[in-house]
Amino acid sequence: MMNAVFEQLAEALTYLGKKQIITLQLGNLSIQFDKAAMIMSWIVIGLLTILALFLRRALRQNIEDNPNRVQAAMDALIDLLQGQLTSSFSSEKLAIEMFPFISTLFLFVLFSNWLGIVPGLSSPTQNLNITMGLALMVFAVSQILAMRAKGMKAYWKGYLEPMPFMLPLNIIGELSKPMSHAFRLFGNVLAGTILITVVMAKFAPIIVPSGLHLIFGLFFGGIQAFVFAILAVAYINVAVES
Amino acid sequence: MLQEAQAVAVGISGADIALAAKYIAAGLCMGIGAIGPAIGEGMAAAHALDGMARQPEMQGALMRTMVLGQAITESTGIYSLLIAIVLLFVV
Repeated sequence: MMNAVFEQLAEALTYLGKKQIITLQLGNLSIQFDKAAMIMSWIVIGLLTILALFLRRALRQNIEDNPNRVQAAMDALIDLLQGQLTSSFSSEKLAIEMFPFISTLFLFVLFSNWLGIVPGLSSPTQNLNITMGLALMVFAVSQILAMRAKGMKAYWKGYLEPMPFMLPLNIIGELSKPMSHAFRLFGNVLAGTILITVVMAKFAPIIVPSGLHLIFGLFFGGIQAFVFAILAVAYINVAVES
Repeated sequence: MLQEAQAVAVGISGADIALAAKYIAAGLCMGIGAIGPAIGEGMAAAHALDGMARQPEMQGALMRTMVLGQAITESTGIYSLLIAIVLLFVV
């Protein structure tokens, strides 16, 4: 049993970077996975977990009054993120409540975008399924929080405002948010990847691609991760507020 | 002359025309689709710079709002990019 799993994993690793669909058959239901996207997102999750465990160990060593350097740096980072979120959200309670979710989203997207720089690996965010999954997660959170904040009746009534005939427009407007949220990240990352691949294959195989990686991987990847997180904040805030 | 043209025309199949149309459409889609976001992002940057020059202490907040606004402005460009990609690789 275990051997088969390892064999499959080894087989999957040889196809790294290529588009490989594996199908899982569960009775009548067949689920398809893209190997590259799946393995890359596992790598990102593993990296983040290792980082978290490493940082936690660094924090544990001296919990008393004199923090070490890592702890001070983390304190500053958390303060910065929390300040950023508190100024973006309408209420401080919501900001503190949403802080773990938003920062996890930000870190996942950031590491995903930056993973494309490593030779042989690809960004999981250049797969539409993954960005759509993240966007739908934000959508679900915003709707649930809106229901909780406004109450069921007021929430459903919100779709009939300002006029009842605006209902289809309101529904389309609500559904277009996760769509544009997902397509924006996917399109940006995919555009960078295609550009770098074309330049590498056709024009300049060395030196130039590293500069392009610097711009499209590090800079745009960071900006897009930030934008993804800030838009998640904006969508949640709008849903809860209005 | 006419016979040559006819010979060339016979060599072109419907699939070739479809391929050519695909490439032209993808190019037009990207070229026209990039105009709007470019103007919009430029305006956002220009006005943010105006604001920063007037109030340098507001730089952080202005920068954040500008980047966010540009990212949203960019989405129409991203849509046209996706359509171009669909035209090139999927259709």
